[in-house]
Amino acid sequence: MSLFQIRSNHSSLARCAPITEKPGTDRAMRVAIQRARRGKKAAPFAQQQAFDGAVAKLVRAIPVDAQVAEWFANENLIPLVKRRWKKILLNPAVLAIALAVAVIGGVFAYRVHEHLRDFPGADKARRLLSVATSTRSVLLDPLQTDAGALSDLFFMKHRLEHYDIPPEFADFRTLGSRVFDDDEVHGVAQIWVVEKRMQFFLFPAEKDPKDGSVTDFSDWRFVELEGWTGAVQQRNGVCFMAAIRGREKDLAPYLEKRKQ
Amino acid sequence: MTGDASKAQEAFQDTVREAALRSARDEPPPDRLWFFRDARWRCIAVSEQGLQAEPGMLEETEISPAAPMQIEQLDPDQLAVWISAAPEPQRSALALFYLDEFSLREMLAVLEMKAGELSDLISSGRRQFQAWLDATTPYAEE
Repeated sequence: MSLFQIRSNHSSLARCAPITEKPGTDRAMRVAIQRARRGKKAAPFAQQQAFDGAVAKLVRAIPVDAQVAEWFANENLIPLVKRRWKKILLNPAVLAIALAVAVIGGVFAYRVHEHLRDFPGADKARRLLSVATSTRSVLLDPLQTDAGALSDLFFMKHRLEHYDIPPEFADFRTLGSRVFDDDEVHGVAQIWVVEKRMQFFLFPAEKDPKDGSVTDFSDWRFVELEGWTGAVQQRNGVCFMAAIRGREKDLAPYLEKRKQ
Repeated sequence: MTGDASKAQEAFQDTVREAALRSARDEPPPDRLWFFRDARWRCIAVSEQGLQAEPGMLEETEISPAAPMQIEQLDPDQLAVWISAAPEPQRSALALFYLDEFSLREMLAVLEMKAGELSDLISSGRRQFQAWLDATTPYAEE
């Protein structure tokens, strides 16, 4: 834009300068008014402002019909643009945000729920569940006996003390067993049983990092991973986990047997 | 705008009725300026049925320093009649400008014109009104 055009624009704006100063006046208009007041045309501009002020004063004195005045006094006359909830909720952006928040909230709630259910050694148990998902029977040494009889084997052969099978699972016939060291869990005994091709794991309990103590629990606690569920019990510093492909309810009948 | 209060009242009622209908259809007026735009077009439609002013026929005179005193002597109805007799779109431009309720941006939105056009219309309106003042209410210096 040339200097001539800018001057012309300012002059044009000044000719429709607001009669009274308003707070929301555009910057261009403010500049035009300043230039008009200080420039060579200050006197004509002052006359223009006086003229406009006098006319506006007269306009305000034009009598308004009482009925019309009453209309304008009534705030409900002009319906406001109300954004209805239904419309807001159906907005794609709002839907996307709501969905994202719901997913994040769901994940967060699941994590909190998992954390509340967690117990010392839950991470180890989950890790061993992942071992259960990938174990093939050929990896284990074939051994057909009652699961309860393996405690002596683990102690005699591998010096693993208190690796006892809980009475609920002691009568189950075994297919094979092995003892191995995992990267994170050492001294793990794995037993494969005939019953529903369940797998038992025995592994050292998680020690308290502060004082090295171990808090046993005789009730059954559960972990889940990739369609597998493990029921864990901890006695004498050793965790026992019965793992089954399925859900908690699939393990429940075996756990209730003891109570009966 | 129409030179007739009852016609203006009718146009305004029609605008409010249209707004209510739009709201009922769940398509309420987008902003308050819609009311003024709609009412303006209705007023123009109403006034087109009567006698029309011929554009460019009025005499023009530069604004006089005595204009405020001349205007003071006028009756408000005289001014209303003078504005309502102006041709469109000058009539709407003068009416909105001297109401002193709208910003420049709002006036341009209601009148659907550019700043330069509005400036020219108001400027010529001033000079025409001054000529009319000089003819009807001459100012005698004491």
